[in-house]
Amino acid sequence: MSKTPSIRDMLYEEPGPKTKKQIRVITLFAILLLAALLAVVIRQFYITGQFAPRYWYFFGRWTTWRFLGQGLLVTLEAAVTGSIIAFLLGFVLMRGKLQKNKIIRGASVCLIEFTRGVPTLLFIYFFFLVVPQTGWKLSAFWKITLPCAISACGVVAEALRSGVNAVPKGQSEAALSLGLTKTRTFYKVVFPQAIRFVIPSLIAELVIVLKDTTFAYIVTCADLMQNAKVLISNYDAMLSVYLVVALIYILINYLLNKLSDRLADRLKQNPAERSAA
Amino acid sequence: MTQNEVPIIELKNINKHFGDLHVLKDISLKVNKGEVVVIIGPSGSGKSTLCRTINRLETIDSGQILLEGVPIPEEGRQLAELRSKIGMVFQAFNLFSHMTIIDNMTLAPVDVLKMPRREAREEAMKLLERVGVADQAKKVPAQLSGGQQQRAAIARALAMHPKVMLFDEPTSALDPEMIGEVLNVMTELASDGMTMLIVTHEMNFARHVADRVIFMDSGSIVEQADPEAFFSNPQTERAKIFLESITRN
Ligand SMILES: Nc1ncnc2c1ncn2[C@@H]1O[C@H](COP(=O)(O)OP(=O)(O)OP(=O)(O)O)[C@@H](O)[C@H]1O
Ligand SMILES: [Mg+2]
Repeated sequence: MSKTPSIRDMLYEEPGPKTKKQIRVITLFAILLLAALLAVVIRQFYITGQFAPRYWYFFGRWTTWRFLGQGLLVTLEAAVTGSIIAFLLGFVLMRGKLQKNKIIRGASVCLIEFTRGVPTLLFIYFFFLVVPQTGWKLSAFWKITLPCAISACGVVAEALRSGVNAVPKGQSEAALSLGLTKTRTFYKVVFPQAIRFVIPSLIAELVIVLKDTTFAYIVTCADLMQNAKVLISNYDAMLSVYLVVALIYILINYLLNKLSDRLADRLKQNPAERSAA
Repeated sequence: MTQNEVPIIELKNINKHFGDLHVLKDISLKVNKGEVVVIIGPSGSGKSTLCRTINRLETIDSGQILLEGVPIPEEGRQLAELRSKIGMVFQAFNLFSHMTIIDNMTLAPVDVLKMPRREAREEAMKLLERVGVADQAKKVPAQLSGGQQQRAAIARALAMHPKVMLFDEPTSALDPEMIGEVLNVMTELASDGMTMLIVTHEMNFARHVADRVIFMDSGSIVEQADPEAFFSNPQTERAKIFLESITRN
């Protein structure tokens, strides 16, 4: 049986010596450019007095960090909860789109396209402005988590579907020929293989949900961003706070990407190759 | 074998199209208990399609498929149940690539036959032993050679205690060294009395193991005979041409 190449293998050819040299030159240029940019920014900060102690002293306080930490926890909680809900909804929509029944399939396609097409912010405003009018009382946490989840579920559905389609047909034929029902075939043979193909895109979607939760201030949910805004108004220190918060977000997303690479590496290889590596 | 015995497999007037292409033209065929039937014919003549229609991996346009006299329905739970009695071996092995060999073996017995896991494992090990890959039980398919994979796939099908085994070119994806080991397993299976329907290009195997040879060309059964008669004295012009073309290569 031929080994299926990973998506990465298909996209990237191993660069030759000439390309490698080019890559090195370009990387050097990029680093120099970034350094120059950073220098300009720092200089500008210096000139406008952004390094004055009054913008930074409160970062020396334990309470500041605890406050930000509490916000960070809410952010992570919203992102994880939102992602789980997005996954469950996405799974249902994917199953719907692969049904024979035309009505179920049509409805699923519509929902997928709708949630993919509408910006997250509109869903948030919907939960912020419209939902309360119906008398449905939601906490601030759910007012941010639900719209973020809904906005992501269509993308998740499509990612899962592409994974399902990537599983060779012979796998399900073998299961069917052994007498497994269609449903059992899906859950025992097709889906466990499909999920391996799509872990990286699912994690990428988790990052998007995380970024979307930064809109939480709209519904005054005390997430990292909202707490940052409180600090800003309390200390009249915009730049320093935004800088620190941005670094936190970057760090989390970086860690998520690392995790995704790890998982993808682990899942794409069969145990033989893994133990050899 | 008595004449009035119910055949294991009976196809009645099967027709199938792929778009405009009439792949199966009014095919009728019986396979009796314990019989080994080999289907041969040129590429594109519809052998695989015929094989796959028997357990309804391909839909048909008209006709009837019976397993021991019971019509196999087009879909639903009863189809799954009848399929479990028809073992199928594919050209590409199709072992479940995310599972170890032993898990490949026990999935269907546990899931479909509701066999206790322990019992399923014990029986699986015996079957793997029989096809000579018991030492590979804990590996995943990609770690096995093609011949080992195909033998494990045969064992996997046998674990369901099928009434009949279908083989669609089981050795076409193997190099010559491995072909022998798979054909040996199949020969043994035949001598144990298994009912088998085999699509193959292995003429030697057909000649020595088959009870009956069916020659297909462009969607029709052109000739049926016992192997000696067919290979030494084909009746139709098309069979003659086909046999000449393969002996020349
Ligand atoms: N899924 C499909 N869609 C359309 N046409 C198909 C499909 N599968 C097979 N065919 C066509 O049907 C005809 C019969 O195919 P089939 O695979 O049954 O032939 P075969 O006798 O098994 O040939 P081979 O010896 O090459 O395996 C061929 O012309 C093939 O191109
Ligand atoms: Mg074929």
